[in-house]
Amino acid sequence: MNSQENTALARIAQIAINAHDVDRATAFYRDVLGLPHLFRAGQLSFFDCGGVRLMLDKPEKPEFDHPSSILYFQVGDIRAAHQRLKHAGAKFEDEPHVIAQMPSHDLWMSFFRDSEGNLLALMSEVARPS
Amino acid sequence: MNATASNAGMANSLGIDGIGQISIIAHDLPRATAFYRDVLGLPLLFTAGNMAFFGCGGVRLMLGPASAPELDHQSSILYFRVPDVHAAHQHLVNMGVKIEAPPRLIARMQTYDLWMVGFRDSEGNIMQLMSEVPRSS
Repeated sequence: MNSQENTALARIAQIAINAHDVDRATAFYRDVLGLPHLFRAGQLSFFDCGGVRLMLDKPEKPEFDHPSSILYFQVGDIRAAHQRLKHAGAKFEDEPHVIAQMPSHDLWMSFFRDSEGNLLALMSEVARPS
Repeated sequence: MNATASNAGMANSLGIDGIGQISIIAHDLPRATAFYRDVLGLPLLFTAGNMAFFGCGGVRLMLGPASAPELDHQSSILYFRVPDVHAAHQHLVNMGVKIEAPPRLIARMQTYDLWMVGFRDSEGNIMQLMSEVPRSS
């Protein structure tokens, strides 16, 4: 099919995250997670996360009113990030722990909640000493 | 130091590089795997037990069952960038995908028009294709 290049899903440009209180959520993503706030358009608040745009939005219909997918934020040092987030007031579900042993690295994760109750995670790939 | 600069400093010290992974609940993993691989055309990276991992421009999509009833809900809307929203829409129609509404102009930005078309994946999650079409001056 020659239209394959035109139909290729190259990348994820944006992710919608439900927020019942967009002001409160904006403060969390800006001040606690420390993500760059791009702009605000009415009830929509946009952040950048490594080239992917996060759109905080108040759900318009009951059908859309569900928690976010778990987004796994990549960090270099998961213990340091966990400590910082905890001090900044994020509610954690667990301590950083190894979730999978891959051939070349250990995959660490730690789960937390945003201001809207969405479950999110920190993740870090820690190289295995050979 | 203004607020923006201090926020940028915080981001650096927390060290979020980007989004590494997004979880999507799949009630029927073979069906969902077929959809993301054959209809959306995303590369299947690997499977692990009852989970399947896809790549999408450096972000990993993890398809699998909900590990707790609380997590058994629809996915966040993911907006996939495509070069040609009309061609991609036609491709989805040809593949029998449920389209929410025909492609439409969502916003007129300064230098481009933002087009989107909503569709459902095999698990009933709403997703969007989006395309930034440069404005002919």
